[in-house]
Amino acid sequence: MDVIVESSLTSDQKHSKRGSPAIRISAIARNAFREAVRDRVLYNLVLFVLMLTGAAIFIGELSGGQERKIIVDLGLSAMLLFGVFISIFVGVGLVYKEIERRTVYAIFSKPVGRGEFLLGKYLGLCLTLLVNVLIMGAGVSLALIYVSHGWDSLVLNIWPAILLTYLELMMITAIALLFSSFSSPALSALLTFFVFIIGHFSADLKSLSTTLPNASARWLFAALYYLLPNLANFSYITPAAHGNTPAFSHVVMTSVYATAYIGVVLASATMIFSQRNFK
Amino acid sequence: MISAQQDSNTVRPWRYGLIAVIVLGTSFSVLLSKSIDARRPPLDNSAEEERLYVTGNSARRMSLGFSGLIADWYWMRSLQYVGNKILSVPAGVQIDDLGQLNLKLLAPLLDTATTVDPQFLEPYEYAAVVLPAVNVDEAIRITRKGIEANPAAWRLYQQLGYIYWQQGRFQDAANAYDRGATIPGAPPWMQAMKARMAAEGGSRETAREIYLRMYEQAADGQVKEMARRRLLQLDSFEQREAIRKVLSAFHQHFGRCPVAWKDIAGVLRNTGFTVNESGAPVDPAGTPYVLLTSTCDVDLDPDSEVPYK
Repeated sequence: MDVIVESSLTSDQKHSKRGSPAIRISAIARNAFREAVRDRVLYNLVLFVLMLTGAAIFIGELSGGQERKIIVDLGLSAMLLFGVFISIFVGVGLVYKEIERRTVYAIFSKPVGRGEFLLGKYLGLCLTLLVNVLIMGAGVSLALIYVSHGWDSLVLNIWPAILLTYLELMMITAIALLFSSFSSPALSALLTFFVFIIGHFSADLKSLSTTLPNASARWLFAALYYLLPNLANFSYITPAAHGNTPAFSHVVMTSVYATAYIGVVLASATMIFSQRNFK
Repeated sequence: MISAQQDSNTVRPWRYGLIAVIVLGTSFSVLLSKSIDARRPPLDNSAEEERLYVTGNSARRMSLGFSGLIADWYWMRSLQYVGNKILSVPAGVQIDDLGQLNLKLLAPLLDTATTVDPQFLEPYEYAAVVLPAVNVDEAIRITRKGIEANPAAWRLYQQLGYIYWQQGRFQDAANAYDRGATIPGAPPWMQAMKARMAAEGGSRETAREIYLRMYEQAADGQVKEMARRRLLQLDSFEQREAIRKVLSAFHQHFGRCPVAWKDIAGVLRNTGFTVNESGAPVDPAGTPYVLLTSTCDVDLDPDSEVPYK
């Protein structure tokens, strides 16, 4: 890790070691991406392709003429599920591995800030997820063309839902990074998974915050509703399978919400991580 | 170099040993599974008919963004459930006449599929066609639920009208077609169906119109096939009535029934029937009719594609 950061910094001769944070962040991000590829994270694509190919060939026998809907449901749900697993299990190891291998000491002996380190790691995993999501999206599109025996309007209509799924994965990754900045990988994975589950129950949290008789309980659930990520906003797989696309304003609002939430989570992670002693 | 060769020589027998363990172990476990299966007591049929313990609303809450996939699973389970039941009865049973099969899980399965994904229209269509023979109240409730969730789907009104028509509730059917006809995008025949239903709900022509529209609009292959065969049946009803008239005229003229179809083949051919080489008129599916000489009547061949009931 430190060697790569070092080489990247020295290769850019216009900058001194104290050069732009963007270069340092991008060097860390590139390295995190390479590490994920070396760790065979993208091998999940093989499983995805096999599953989708099998579904495209055999689902017609079982679905009563609903192959297109089921291909979209299955493909995009698998995209979300595989993505969540990558976000959680790779995300919680991003920082922990560097600490365990003690490479983090070498990195912080260089002029690399804690925030830059976390942001670089985060962007590296987001890049891995982006590659994953794009390839899976292309796979679903091809499967749709196969089952429809030609062009299908769903091929285009699924992409806004894919974008929302990717934003959800970015949020989960940020949360995994936050937990891993202060706890063990196992606990971080568990906590992140809980947040993923509760994030999809946001409608129930809101309902509890208005219907419970106890005022403090109402306040607690209202606080949870606003503090935990509202992941239901990003669930557009089911309507996408019916050929519906989200309103442009919904995509913009949820993108802004995701960006703001990720900013808050990464800032919190940086604050916690800054308290840790790596000297 | 020499030590590496020695290493590989010493490792190789172990590898063969491991491969042998894998192959023999796999074969042994397959044989053991077969033996366990053979000794296992048969499955309790009542377990298969156990009520669903997860309600539609619970399934939707627990779906975590995978609601579409869960709805698909319930939909495919509904099809498998009906399919397995159909396999247990003689071939040729129509999917709108499955009351004898005790499909008590079908309504909860379709209800769950449509609660988890209310925009999924095919389970509503299936409910409208298959469920009335099992539980007509549930069929109406699920279709009405679909209308509430999809107010722009005029096809659901067509299906509700079909359920009412089957029950002989022609005024309710006319109202359903009328409401559906007001939805933007609804075809003009929805309004015509309203008028026909109110004026002559029980007529054969109304039935023909209903099945024709169902055949044109159905997305589900089984529903389409059912509508096609019902249309064949309606044609066959008319053909049999015409044949009976010819048989009756023959009886009046000769004081006996024809011995074979060839006795009246000429008359039938002149009336517009397709007649095969032995003189027998063929039904709309292309199968020759059966002449019942004892009762001087005509009947469908049991192997015919035209539904008997």
